Amino acid sequence: MTLGVCATLCRADSLPRYSAPMNLLLAEDDALLADALQQQLLNASFKVEWAENGAVAEYLLRKQDFDVAILDLGLPLVDGLTVLKRVREAGRTVPILVLTALDALEHRVAGLQAGADDYLTKPFDFPELEARLHALMRRGRPASQSQQLRRLTLDRAARRASVGGEPMELSPREWTLLDLLVNERDRVVTKPQIVAAWGSEDSAGGSIEVYIHRLRKKLEGSGLAVRTVRGLGYLLEATATPA
Amino acid sequence: MKTAAGRSLHRQLLLWLLLPQIVLWLVAAFGAYRVASRHADELVDASLLQAARALARQIKPTASGLFVDLPRSAQDILSADPDDRVMYTVSSPPGQLLLGDARMPPPPGAPAMNAPVFYDATVPEPMRVVSLDLHLGAPGAADSALRVQIARASAPRELLARRMLLDTALPLSLLIALMSVGVWAGIRRGLRPLAELQREMEGRRADALDPVQLRAAPPEVSALAGAVNELLGQVQQSLGQQRRFISDAAHQLRTPLAGLKSQTELALAAATDPALRQRLQRVHDSAVRCARLVSQLLVLARAEPEAIAAQGWAPVDCAALVQEVAADWVPRALAAGMDLGVEIATDAPAEGLQVQGVALLLREALINLIDNAVRYAGRGATLTVRLRAVGDDLWLEVEDNGPGLSPGERERVFERFARGEQGSALSADGCGLGLAIVREIAERHGGSAELLPAAPQGCIARLALPLYRC
Repeated sequence: MTLGVCATLCRADSLPRYSAPMNLLLAEDDALLADALQQQLLNASFKVEWAENGAVAEYLLRKQDFDVAILDLGLPLVDGLTVLKRVREAGRTVPILVLTALDALEHRVAGLQAGADDYLTKPFDFPELEARLHALMRRGRPASQSQQLRRLTLDRAARRASVGGEPMELSPREWTLLDLLVNERDRVVTKPQIVAAWGSEDSAGGSIEVYIHRLRKKLEGSGLAVRTVRGLGYLLEATATPA
Repeated sequence: MKTAAGRSLHRQLLLWLLLPQIVLWLVAAFGAYRVASRHADELVDASLLQAARALARQIKPTASGLFVDLPRSAQDILSADPDDRVMYTVSSPPGQLLLGDARMPPPPGAPAMNAPVFYDATVPEPMRVVSLDLHLGAPGAADSALRVQIARASAPRELLARRMLLDTALPLSLLIALMSVGVWAGIRRGLRPLAELQREMEGRRADALDPVQLRAAPPEVSALAGAVNELLGQVQQSLGQQRRFISDAAHQLRTPLAGLKSQTELALAAATDPALRQRLQRVHDSAVRCARLVSQLLVLARAEPEAIAAQGWAPVDCAALVQEVAADWVPRALAAGMDLGVEIATDAPAEGLQVQGVALLLREALINLIDNAVRYAGRGATLTVRLRAVGDDLWLEVEDNGPGLSPGERERVFERFARGEQGSALSADGCGLGLAIVREIAERHGGSAELLPAAPQGCIARLALPLYRC
C-alpha cells in the first residue's frame, strides 16, 4: 500500500519541470540510509552532495548554493538544529527539509522555529519526500512560467491555459482556481483556500461550486479531473485513462 | 498469617478486647457465686447451731432419765419457714435415739464434746446438718453424754446464694455491655485514619502513582502511608525508566529501518527476476510493518499518564483537527481506491466542537481510526469521518461500508496485537496496536472507543469524548 500511496503524485511529478538538475545537500550520518537516499534522489534527477556530519553540512550550506537541503537532526559533531540555526543566522535562505527519528510535537516546533521549511519523520515514503522537496523548491523560487500536466499547458506569464494546444476560455477567477489546483495537485484544496486565493478579484457572481462546475467542463479531454472531496474541498487528479 | 490476613483489623481488635472482658466477667460471676454461697452457708449454719443449742437447753436430766421441754419458741425456730424441711434428733448416749426422726444420718467421725459439726447429707433430699455433742449434768458422768442434731433442707440456701449472685452479676453485665459499646466506638475512632487510607487506596486508578495524601494521620498510619508512597515513588521511577527506554529504543530503530526500507525499494526497482522481486517485496513489507510498530509504540508511550501531564492539556478544536487529518489522508484513500469524506455537524454548540485534551494524541487516535478503515474496508469503499455533539459528548466517528466485523471481533480488535480475521489478507502492514491505542487515548481523555455495525454493512468506529464547554 505504501508504494501505492503516492502513485498519483509520482505520475504528476515525473514530468520534467526544471531544465537543470537540482543541487541537493543530504546531511545524514547513517551510511545505509544515506546510500539508499543518494541513489533514489539521483534516480529522481537530483545532483546530491552528501555530508556525513554536522560540521561538514554547515560548511557546505554556508559555502555552496543548493536548491534544497535534507538535514537530519541527529548529526554527529554539530547537531542538526544547531546547523540549522547557524545557517539561518548566516543569512542563507536555501529551503531545508528536516529529517528526524524524533517525532514529538516539541521537536517539530523547535525545528520549524530554527528555520526549517518542512519536517519529515523517519521512516518515510520516498515519493512523499520527493513531493515535499519539489514543493519546497516551488515555494523558494517563482513558479515556473510554463507547465505541462498531461494534456494541460499552463502559461503563467500570460495567465493562459490550453488543452492539447486548444486555448481554454478562462475568467480571472477560473484561472486562479485552476492555477491553485495545479499547484496543489493531488492534495485537497479547501474552500477557504480558494476564497483566499481569489482575494479581491472581480466577482462575476456565483459560488465556488459554479466555478468548479465550469472548470470541470473546460478540463474535459485534458487527462485531468477535479474531484469533490466530501466536506473538505476539491482535488485535481489524473483521470484513469491517460490521454 | 493467612487467617490473620482474612480478618479485618476492626473485628480482631473487637474480639481481643471483648473476649478477655467476657472471660473476666465469667470469673467474677463464678467468684461472686462462691462468696455468696459461703455467706449463705455461714448464715444457715449459724441459725442451725443456734437452734441446736436452744434445743439442748431444753433437755433436763431427771431421775428417771431425760425431760425434754420443747417450748413454743423452740418449735417456732424449728419451723421458721413453711418451705423449710426441718428434722431433729436427740440421742443419749450419742447414737441412741431418744427423740426425733430416725432417718437422721450420723455425723462423720467422732465429734469432740461441745464442738458443733456441720455436714451435708441426703435424706432423701439434700440437707445441711449440725450435730452437737454435750455433757448433761456433772461432767464425768458416764451416761451424761447427749447429742442434738438438727437438719434443714439445702434448697433455700441455694436459693439465697443464687439471689445474691443475681444481685451482683446483673450490674456487672450492664457494665460489661456499656464497656463493649465504648470499646467498639473507640476502635472505630482509632481506626478512622486507616479507613481513610483504605478509601484513598480503593478510589485510586490502577496506574495512579502520585503520593497518598492523608489528613492529620497518627504516626503509625503516617509511617504506613510513607512506606506506600516510597514504594509508589520507586515504581514510578522504574516505570519512567522503562518508558524512556522504549522511547529511546523506538527512536533509535527508526533510522536503520528507514535505511532498510529505502535500500529495499532500490533493490525492488532494479530487480527483474519475479521470484527475487517477491522476496524483496516481503522484506519491504516487513520493514514497513516494523516502522509502523515502532511509531505506534511511541504513541503508546506518549499516552501514558505522566507523558500526558508533560504534554499539556488544552482545549482542542476537533472540527479543524478532523479537516486537517482527513485532507492529509485523501490522497492515500484515493490511491487505495476509496472515497474519503467529512461530515461536520452544523448545529454545533456555541463553543464549537471542542474537547479538553492533548491535540497530538487526539490526532493520533483519529489517524489510527482512518488508517484502520483504509486498511480493512477494501477497494471501492466509502469512508466518512463524522463529527457531532450528542448530549454532553462529542462523537468522532469513522464509518465505512466495507465487509464489517462480527460482534466478537469488534471487541477483540481493541486488544493489543489483535487483528480482524478476514482482514488478515489486507493487513500486510497493520501491527494490531491501532485500536488499542485509540481506546487508550479515549480513556485518558475520559471518553470511550467502540466499534458498531453500520447499516446496511460496514463498521462505525466511534470515539466519544466529553465535550468541552468554556
